[in-house]
Amino acid sequence: MKFSCAICYAGTAAVLLLFSGCDDRDGIKVYRVSKETPSPENSAGMMGATAPPGMSAESAPGIADTAPPGWEPQPLSSMRQASYLVKGDNGAVADVSLVILGGPAGGVLENVNRWLGQIGQPAITDEKLAQMAEKISAPLGEVSVVDLEGLPPAGDPAKDGRILAGIASDGSRTFFFKMRGNAALVAAQKKNFAQWISSVRMAEAGASPLPAAPASSPGAETEKPQIKWEIPAGWKSVPASAMRYASFTAVGSDGAAADISVSVFESDGGGDLGNVNRWCGQIGLQPIDENALKKLVIPSKAKDAELQTVDLKGSQTRILAGWARIDGRSWFFKITGPDAAVACEKEKFAKFLRSVQFRP
Amino acid sequence: MLHRILDIISSLKLTIVCLSAAIVLVFVGTLAQVNYGIHVVQERYFQSMFVWWPMEGAGAKFPVLPGGHLLGAVLLINLIAAHIRRFKWGWSKLGIQLTHLGLIVMLAGGLFTDLFAVESFMRLANGETKNYSEDSARAELAVIDESGAELDQVNAIPESRLRKGGVIEHASLPFRIVVKHFYQNSQLQMLNGKTKLEPAATQGVGARVGVIGIPRETAANARDSASAVVEIVPPGSQPLGTWLVSDQLGAPQTFFCAGKKWRLAMRMARYYKPYSLTLQKFTHERYAGTEIAKNFASKVTLADAERGENRDVLIYMNHPLRYRGDTFYQSGFEKNDEATVLQVVRNPSFVAPYIACVIVAAGLLIQFGWHFAAFSRRRKNIPATA
Repeated sequence: MKFSCAICYAGTAAVLLLFSGCDDRDGIKVYRVSKETPSPENSAGMMGATAPPGMSAESAPGIADTAPPGWEPQPLSSMRQASYLVKGDNGAVADVSLVILGGPAGGVLENVNRWLGQIGQPAITDEKLAQMAEKISAPLGEVSVVDLEGLPPAGDPAKDGRILAGIASDGSRTFFFKMRGNAALVAAQKKNFAQWISSVRMAEAGASPLPAAPASSPGAETEKPQIKWEIPAGWKSVPASAMRYASFTAVGSDGAAADISVSVFESDGGGDLGNVNRWCGQIGLQPIDENALKKLVIPSKAKDAELQTVDLKGSQTRILAGWARIDGRSWFFKITGPDAAVACEKEKFAKFLRSVQFRP
Repeated sequence: MLHRILDIISSLKLTIVCLSAAIVLVFVGTLAQVNYGIHVVQERYFQSMFVWWPMEGAGAKFPVLPGGHLLGAVLLINLIAAHIRRFKWGWSKLGIQLTHLGLIVMLAGGLFTDLFAVESFMRLANGETKNYSEDSARAELAVIDESGAELDQVNAIPESRLRKGGVIEHASLPFRIVVKHFYQNSQLQMLNGKTKLEPAATQGVGARVGVIGIPRETAANARDSASAVVEIVPPGSQPLGTWLVSDQLGAPQTFFCAGKKWRLAMRMARYYKPYSLTLQKFTHERYAGTEIAKNFASKVTLADAERGENRDVLIYMNHPLRYRGDTFYQSGFEKNDEATVLQVVRNPSFVAPYIACVIVAAGLLIQFGWHFAAFSRRRKNIPATA
């Protein structure tokens, strides 16, 4: 009897231990894997993340579209699924974007009022929205399209003055189509904008990542922003993320790496002060004002343009950056990394900036 | 005293109480799926020691029902205890002993499946190769050290850890991660100066986006979209800022710390394999003139350098691929039949139910056979009265 008692108690303890001690779901797993090649999924930015794989329609890997002739593909960002620049006469430009967010993302009225605010116009009501919204039937569903006109205070009429925007929802995601730019150019592009909306569809799995090249456009290659530079010895090209035009990495003798990026944005790309303060934040420095910025900026030269540069040094990390605004675009060149690594690459970075040719 | 406790844990009354409680638990848990969905109910009713009330929110909570784990454990203990206590060897008892042994194997198998089985999915486009599967029911924050020449070091923080909040420290991370907010299910919204939404974070895309926490998904074919706001704090230094991480954000976000470049990504939890699968072709046959599916099949190449495997395998309905403890079932497909979805099940105790059924069947055959033989003998010995 004693033996059976002992077995019973040991069994009880073992089972309870098993129940209480085997759950390691909170543990951090550490492992090494081969570097990933960006797949269509990874490069497509925001995706439908509301359904598990295998649930058919909800789990589309990305989107595909056909850009009208003359629309220049632009680098994508975390937010943008598609991005184009349309050019008109006399420096007129319009920026086109597709953004996808999960859920209703604020609803149609809220977003239309947000756009109205961007061009300095008062908010409207549901009734007014119902009068002005046109409906387009597209592969992604019914798209409500609004045409909003107005120039914000201090807005540049060549680049601003009108917004064409469409909103569609498939229940789990909201699709935002938007063209903003010179009023006359946007008006002239209205038909193209509607055609583009109708071309956007959920991509077949494994389809090419965005942005899709303009359909059979012989000049597609030459319409891309052209730029040339000389890559310094020791810098290694790495795949650029969606937000970047180009990426390099430089590894110092102590193994510390510096990251070099080239980014391009439409218009002023957020302004000098805004960008410098964003970089300050990245390395733990306090924001600065306009006066401090003037003292901080060091003029420099590329092959065919003037550049402005800054050298920002945080407690651990350092940023050297240079930028220029050419043909309505803002180009940013940046090297980031540990102080020692950046100091080691400073000369090469300066040489790199001097080699940049914006109009080759 | 010990005998008294042993009497209780081996008593039939305890079995009845546990079975009754299990009936109540299944009934209440089934009703709860209407409001909470299958995943939450499974976690809180059946994969727990107690069912707590209220289920949501902070503050005091009270156990209102024994959870599935507790009932299973007590039933298993009760059965083992009763078996040991009342065990008396004899050929006449063999059948009943075997039947009980089969039940013990089945209960233990259920327990092991619950604790150790992992279900995930592998989605492959034509020509795509993967060496990991993904768990659509769980998210993880991957903090990736990209400084290696050929390999990335991934530090995967499960959502259950993020949910607890606070400071996350690990020997492989040269900084602390402070979880400022965690949203089990969320929507992202672009900022509008007129709304009350604040920027979710100070760095990256989060500076231009607001986050709204929303109720968890209850539909079986939907999943939560987890988001979190995390702060990176190097030792003895000012924080680098806060980042919004969400599985709605596809593009990576990076930062520098301790001389290395790090990448942040909230994504579906990944299970890496020591081998890879490449989808050669997905076939979707339909009955002629209809859209009704006749057959789905995925031709994949299995490559395992460690074991020298490199062969093509056809996975189709009821013909899964079993390899290194994983079972790949044909589960679904995606747009235009260009991608396949394989369900990946890793269950170390998948043979337990088969073994249990064989043991129980053998036990019942012996038991009833023994009785039948005894009955026949008695019948033969009854003298004729007519």
